[in-house]
Amino acid sequence: MALKLSFGQYYATDSIVHALDPRAKAICAVTVMVSVFFVHTPVQLAIGYAFALLAVVLARIPASKVLGSIRGVIFVLLVLSVFNLFLVNTGDVLWQLGFLRITTDSLAAALLYSLRLVIGVIMGALVLLTTTPAQLTDAFDALLAPLARIGLPAHEIAMVFSLMLRFIPTLADEASAVMDAQTARGGSLSEGSPLHRIRAVAAVLVALLASSLHHANDLSRALDARCYEGGAARTHWHPLRMRVRDWLALVFTATFVGGLILVG
Amino acid sequence: MLSHVTLQYESGAQALNDVSLTVERGEHLCVLGANGSGKSTLASVVCGLLAPDNGVVELVGQTVFDARRTDPIDFAAYRRARRSIGLVFQNPDDQIVTTVVEEDVAFGPENLGVPPKEIGSRVERELHRVGMTAYAKENPTRLSGGQKQRVTIAGALAMRPEVIVFDEPGSLLDVRGRTAIMRVMRALHADGTTIVHITHFMEEALCANRVIVLDRGRIVAEGSPSQVFSQTSKILSLGLEEPFVAQLSRRTGIPWTCDEDDAAEKLTRRATQNGKNTFSTSGQATACACAIRANHVSYSYKRDRKALDDVSFEIPSGSWTAIVGHTGSGKSTLLRLLCALETPDEGEVVVQGICTKRRRDRRRLHGTIGYVMQHPERQLFAETVRQDVAFGPTNLGLSQEEVAHRCTRALQMVGLEGLDEASPFELSGGQQRLCAIAGVLAMEPQTIVLDEPTAGLDPRGRTELRRILSRIHERGVTIVEVTHSMDDAAHANKVIVLEESRVMLEGTPRELFCAANEDRLSKAGLGLPHALQWALKLGIEGNPLTLDELVLALGSHAPQEGEVMSYGA
Repeated sequence: MALKLSFGQYYATDSIVHALDPRAKAICAVTVMVSVFFVHTPVQLAIGYAFALLAVVLARIPASKVLGSIRGVIFVLLVLSVFNLFLVNTGDVLWQLGFLRITTDSLAAALLYSLRLVIGVIMGALVLLTTTPAQLTDAFDALLAPLARIGLPAHEIAMVFSLMLRFIPTLADEASAVMDAQTARGGSLSEGSPLHRIRAVAAVLVALLASSLHHANDLSRALDARCYEGGAARTHWHPLRMRVRDWLALVFTATFVGGLILVG
Repeated sequence: MLSHVTLQYESGAQALNDVSLTVERGEHLCVLGANGSGKSTLASVVCGLLAPDNGVVELVGQTVFDARRTDPIDFAAYRRARRSIGLVFQNPDDQIVTTVVEEDVAFGPENLGVPPKEIGSRVERELHRVGMTAYAKENPTRLSGGQKQRVTIAGALAMRPEVIVFDEPGSLLDVRGRTAIMRVMRALHADGTTIVHITHFMEEALCANRVIVLDRGRIVAEGSPSQVFSQTSKILSLGLEEPFVAQLSRRTGIPWTCDEDDAAEKLTRRATQNGKNTFSTSGQATACACAIRANHVSYSYKRDRKALDDVSFEIPSGSWTAIVGHTGSGKSTLLRLLCALETPDEGEVVVQGICTKRRRDRRRLHGTIGYVMQHPERQLFAETVRQDVAFGPTNLGLSQEEVAHRCTRALQMVGLEGLDEASPFELSGGQQRLCAIAGVLAMEPQTIVLDEPTAGLDPRGRTELRRILSRIHERGVTIVEVTHSMDDAAHANKVIVLEESRVMLEGTPRELFCAANEDRLSKAGLGLPHALQWALKLGIEGNPLTLDELVLALGSHAPQEGEVMSYGA
């Protein structure tokens, strides 16, 4: 199909990372994601990548799979780094053409800012690749539980999040089918005058919205039929339990983050 | 379980009208009826998902609704009842809530508060029952429709329901998927599960204990399958059709039956009396001009797997060509290439003399080749039917009068005249499909490509769409149709069989559907047309492909067409 969204697709295999408690995994990943903002030197960058690489290797996920799932985000980061390259004006000038100017500082910023964010993106992708949506929902649910006391529907938010992951590929397939059909009726999104394209976009979006509503309707029927009633009386097939290895993973990540910040 | 149930939708449409129905424990009940007869509403009421306006509903021993009470709806009873009733409906995609098969099966038991250990054993047991154990860790989006539907059945079974309601579970599946579902259903019935099965396929109703027929919210026929189907004229007037075996027995003049073995025995006995039956046909002249030519076409979405591999064929101008092949054989990809929505990696596709390689040529083609996608009603978007139909012609840059003219003609062709100003979203399912098809017809293409145009329609809708298509074909339009039904393919001029990304067989239906190819076809998940299956069973030579030919081969009087068909209008 024309739209292939692979972000957030669970990749089934046996590994230490897969076996970690999803809460521990989520906390580790978020900690690393935050810590990348403290990366300012090449040495820190190297340590960060070493950690990300280690995590990927431990998760036993093929590099192509990881790259495939972060491709879209990397594209955005590339665009950002081009902006950095030309908008930072301090430092020694390396190259100049008219008002466009590349300096040592701008080059460093372009490289550093995007490269460090890639570490965070890899960690995020890794969580989604190694955790099933059901586990993610449970983890979300557990981590948001304190907020439930102040009236936040934690369980429902977690459920919606997991259904979203489930339906992204379905809707993407449908979007490409509808786009095909409208293209065959001469309503191509990528050709013609702006007015023509606006009409074409409307034709695809409205059709897609209608069919999403249809899906939502069916889904609510399915959830009712399977007696889904929110979090209260549910049990879990695989109840979450923190084991030694989960605590070890947390300690290891904390050490890494501490080290990373100290080096800088 | 239901007595005098009436239900009215907000729009004022009467969905159920004084329906009384009791389902016995362990019974296999089949519900038939045209689209809009209230079948799905009945399913929702039986599942405890919808409370009626009037009457009394008792589900698995719980009186959930009683209009005579001051507070008719008993929510607590509804919740209790729902725990013992499972539901499986049309679209498996909308029923799967997670991305791992076994976790989806566990979802229901988790909701019921079943202890973890027990959940594990239930998941294992139910996946085994539907034959999906090998796929426990798979991502459901990678499974075929039939496999997905089996997962949803396992999900319903894992909740240990006393009753399972199947709401058209096979209507979106191919032959292989539907056969598997029926096998599972028979096994469940043998295990003592109560089954309520709603379907558009008369053949499936034959294995039920009891059949009821709904029409405009009322039960209009009830009894064993043979009791119900023996009321031929009534069945036809309700927009249904007879099972193949019943048609055969009626038209060959043997005592009426809808039991396959019985009919086979009687027909064999008569065949031996009459001497050997053969059926001969004259060859058909082949058209010369070529509408579509595919020349060594290969295409792949990913580097490692080819979706199409060295595919070559020609589709004669003005012909009706059927493309068959099970899910994943490359049919959809082929259609995308034919409609110039994609260009081949290798080889070339030439449509109406125009090669699809160049972008500008591709744009020109969008006016000459029409594409009706699967479930075309999903492409509807405009405020009124007329505006939606006008989308294509307007994009062609035609004058306003010409657009209006074409819209009127297209709507007339599909029989939707008079509904111009209605919103497409208010039409019935069958009408929505016709509206979408009108949107393609309005472009007045010389070739029209349809992807399973009759999927999910009721018998009346199927017949009507067939009639519209043959009318279009008579006007000289080349028709290319992807279909799951070998009976439909048997009516085409030419059949192309795709298997594993390659053309496995190609030729006229008569060349293709024969005893020699039976094994190869059934291995590809396809099979033979009904008539031919019967001919082989009865030892008739000459490959009759349709009911008419089979009856002719059996050499017996056929009743005058008008006698029965007049009721069908």
